[in-house]
This record gives sequence, C-alpha cells and structure tokens, in this order.
Amino acid sequence: MKTISMQRNILLFSFLFVPVLLLLMFVLYPLFELIRLSFTDWNGMDAKQVYIGFDNYIKMFTDSSDVWLSLRNNGFYFLFHFIMIPLELAIAVVLDSKIRASKFFKTIVFMPYIINGVAISYMFAFFYSPINGGLNGILEALGLESLIQNWLTNESIVNLSLVFVSIWRFSGFHVILFLAGLQAIPQDQFEAAKIDGANSIQNFWYIIVPGVKKVLEVLLFLNVVGALQVFDIPYIMTQGGPGHASSTFTLYTLETAFKFNNFGMASAMGITMLVLIIVLNSIQKRLFNLKGVDEE
Amino acid sequence: MTPRLGVAVKKLAVYVILIAICLIVFLPLLITLFASFKTSMEIGSEFSLKLPASFNFDNYGVVLEKGKFLQGFGNSMFLVAVSVVINALIGTMTAYAINRFDFRLKKIILGLFVAGMIMPGMITEISRFTVIKNLGLYNTIWAPIVIYAAANLVQLYIYTQFINGIPKELDESAMLDGCSYFSVFNKMIFPLLLPATATLGIIKAVDVMNDMYVPYLYMPSSSLRTLTTTLMYFSSSKFGSWDYLSAAIILVMLPTLLIYLLFSKYIFKGIVAGAVKG
Repeated sequence: MKTISMQRNILLFSFLFVPVLLLLMFVLYPLFELIRLSFTDWNGMDAKQVYIGFDNYIKMFTDSSDVWLSLRNNGFYFLFHFIMIPLELAIAVVLDSKIRASKFFKTIVFMPYIINGVAISYMFAFFYSPINGGLNGILEALGLESLIQNWLTNESIVNLSLVFVSIWRFSGFHVILFLAGLQAIPQDQFEAAKIDGANSIQNFWYIIVPGVKKVLEVLLFLNVVGALQVFDIPYIMTQGGPGHASSTFTLYTLETAFKFNNFGMASAMGITMLVLIIVLNSIQKRLFNLKGVDEE
Repeated sequence: MTPRLGVAVKKLAVYVILIAICLIVFLPLLITLFASFKTSMEIGSEFSLKLPASFNFDNYGVVLEKGKFLQGFGNSMFLVAVSVVINALIGTMTAYAINRFDFRLKKIILGLFVAGMIMPGMITEISRFTVIKNLGLYNTIWAPIVIYAAANLVQLYIYTQFINGIPKELDESAMLDGCSYFSVFNKMIFPLLLPATATLGIIKAVDVMNDMYVPYLYMPSSSLRTLTTTLMYFSSSKFGSWDYLSAAIILVMLPTLLIYLLFSKYIFKGIVAGAVKG
C-alpha cells in the first residue's frame, strides 16, 4: 500500500515537473543566456563566440546615437501616458457615478484594449495616410486645411501620431483599473463625508485619491514597463522611420538582433532594458512613497 | 445659478465628455469599416465618413480568397484551444502543489517563478530563439505553444490567489473520507476553480489571438500563419491597397471583438486581477 507521504511526493513531482521545466528552459535559461551573450560578439549563426568584455555596453552608450534617439522616443510614450492618468481617473469617477448607460460607456471605453494591436496599427496607418487618409479628410471638411500634415513621415510629429495610437489603445485599460479601485472604496466613507458636509472636490482629494492609491502604483509600474516595451505600433506603422525618428528601444534592440544579426549587442541592450525597468521602478516607488508619507 | 441648474449643467458636461470619448473610439473604426465596402476609386474621391454606396462584400471576398485568412483563423484557433487547455491544467496543478503543500524545494521553486516575472516579454526572444531552434521547434506550431505555456506566470499567480480562497478544511475532510490527494484535486479543487479558469481562459484566448511577435518570429512558413501574421503579410502583398486592407483589418478585429462582447464581464474581472497582482 502506498503511504500518504509517498503519494504526496508523486503528486508534487508530477504536478510541478512540467511547469518548472518549461520555466527553466524558456524563461530563466534565456535570461542567463542574455547576460552571457551580452559579453560576446555573437552574430547569431556562427559557432564562434568571442568574449569581448563590456565592449557592447561601452559601444552602446558611446557610439550609437540611434539608441539614445530610440530611448528618447520611449520617453514620449511614458510622458504622455503619464499626463493622461488624471484624465483617466476622472473618466473612471464619471463612469462610477450613477449615470445612465454607464455599462455601455464602460464597454466602449475598454474596447480598444481588446482589439488586435496589429489591426489597430494598420487602421491608424490608414487614418493618418496622406493620400485618402481619414484624418486629413476630416480636417479639410472642418476647414482646418492648415493643420493637414504628413502625420507619419514628418520627423517632428511622427512620434506624437504614434503616441496617440498608444493612448487610444491603452487608456481604456487604465480607466477600468481605476474603476475597480473605486468600487473597492467602502460606500460608508462617502456617507460619512456627506454627513460632514464634504463637497465633491473634497471627496475627490480625501476619499477617492487615497482609495485608488494602490491602482495608481500599479499603473505607474505598468507605464514604465509598457513605455519601454513599445514595439508593435511603430514596427507596423513606420518601421521606426523616417530613418530612426520613431524607433523605440525594443524595436531597435530586436532589429539589432534579427535584422543586423548582432546578437551580442542586442543582448547588451536587452540587459540594459531590464536594469532600466528595475531602476526606474524603484525610483518611482520611492518618490511615490515619499509623497504618500507627506500626505499623512 | 440655482443648485438644480448646476446639477443639470454638470450632468450635461459628463455626457458631452462620454460622447466625445465614444467618437474618438469609433471614428477610426468607422472610417475603416466604411472603406472596406468601398472601391479604391471611392476611397480616393469620397469623404471618409460618407456611407458606402452599397454594402457589397467584394473586398471581403477578395481578402478571403487571396489572403488565406481562413487558414490564419484556423491556426489561431488551434493555438488558442491548445494554449487554453494547457494553461488551465498547468495553472491549477501548479497552484495546488504550491498552495497546499510544504516541501523542501518550495522556496526555491517559488523564487524561480518570481524571477521569471521580471523577464520582459519580447527581449527574451533574442536568446530564446536559439533554444527553440536547437530543440527543432523553429517553424513548427509548437514553438508558440511552449512559449505561451512557459510565460504563464501572471496567471499562475492569480490561480494561487483563487485556490487560497478555498478552505483547507474541505481538503482535509475529503481525505478523511478516503480520497487521495489526486482525487481531492480532480473532484474538488479543479471543479471549484472552474470560474477562475473561465476568466483566465478568455483572457488567454484574447492574448494568443492578438499576439504578433512570437508567431511572426518563429513561424515564417506560409502555412503556419496566424490571423495576425496573415494580416501583416497581406498588407505587403500586391493586394495591400486600402480597399482590401480595410476589409482584412475588420476581419482580423472581429473574433476578439466578438469574444469581448460576449464575455465582457469575465474579461473585466480577469484583466483587473492580472494587473493588480503586485
């Protein structure tokens, strides 16, 4: 007869073997490989890998202005999504209040997040198109011809055009997160405030903002990770062009690997990105908590 | 201003904002939808928000015939079905083992799962590419399947939360009734987790349907294209003019939109649980 502890061991082994194996092979081993490759000059094909120390890292920071340009573009995504956060919270507050058809509006607001990102990118490529494009046509119909632009080929606005697509796609997601946070605020807080004669601005600052603090923290984290990883919108809509004007760090990294076969350099960029995510988040977290202490 | 008038103005402002949002969401979608029923000539000469002269499906016919979108849909569906099943099995089993038992390697295994979470998605492919290639999975449908199964860490976390909500006394009384650990899992834990599985399965399905880079990188073969990569190849083919491309864009949007409208309740729940995991 099987003892209970033997049964236990068989279960643990059979239940955990596959997931742990998958994790080791396809997530953690690649992570270590990425670190190792970042110190080589590997081109992705040859058996030969020469260790070149920190050369890739040094070259990346000193010799490649396109990396900096791409990183600056990631900054645009970060900044504008950051600016959108108060507006997203306001929309969530509106959707949470007792308005007619709030469920309908909620469904619409979140819809872009669910739609295929590649299809969205092509749709906006059409929308921005200088020939037959929807946006220029609308501007013309409104008598705003002076605003007509080459939205995707003008170096100085291409990033803003792409950032708008990102906002179109992801803002609804943020609204829904805020909404979940709002719904977790106990109703009696509002009732108590009402008795004390609080107005809606006071409600906002003293009940709503602290109530969604946790969501806010999550959002700030997602914004760093998301902005650094922007890829499919520029990849589909502009291929990072014109030149590298709308490239992003992830786009540039993956091109370095799979287009220019410089896996060593791409790995160094990948590790840099990992470090950036960790560093930016801990800075943000510290600032956030400082502010939190001030408020209390 | 009397208080009542103030309330009315406020209400009006709220609806104006909400309707403006709807316009922003729908405008590009409507333009694309209208264009999908227009000829190239009409797109070139007409205002983009003008209704098409007739709702003829010629563009869709060309797209389906030349673009192999049905094959792409089939491949996407296969990936969705396999990934959702694997996800449900691996997710529930791992969560059960980790949540209900104490064992020697537990801390280490938990640490591995947490470490896996910091790895940012697409960057991984630089070094994962060689692993997939050496295993002979490159250009097979199994490449995305193993990647989706391995990159399941967030869902795993949510499963662990759910299982934590099932009282341990239930396990114990079932064991006293003579159940083995395996039948506790089969007859009790797995069925009790079904609501979580439904939510996470729908989220996974949408993720897999919409994923672009993994199928694009690992399955260049034309017979393995998913709905998303079919669209990418179609756009650069000689049929990539806006009349056909608009129809193709709408076709690719439809499946996830349909899932969304049918299951929006589950999707809201799952997305929120996934994001607020931290």
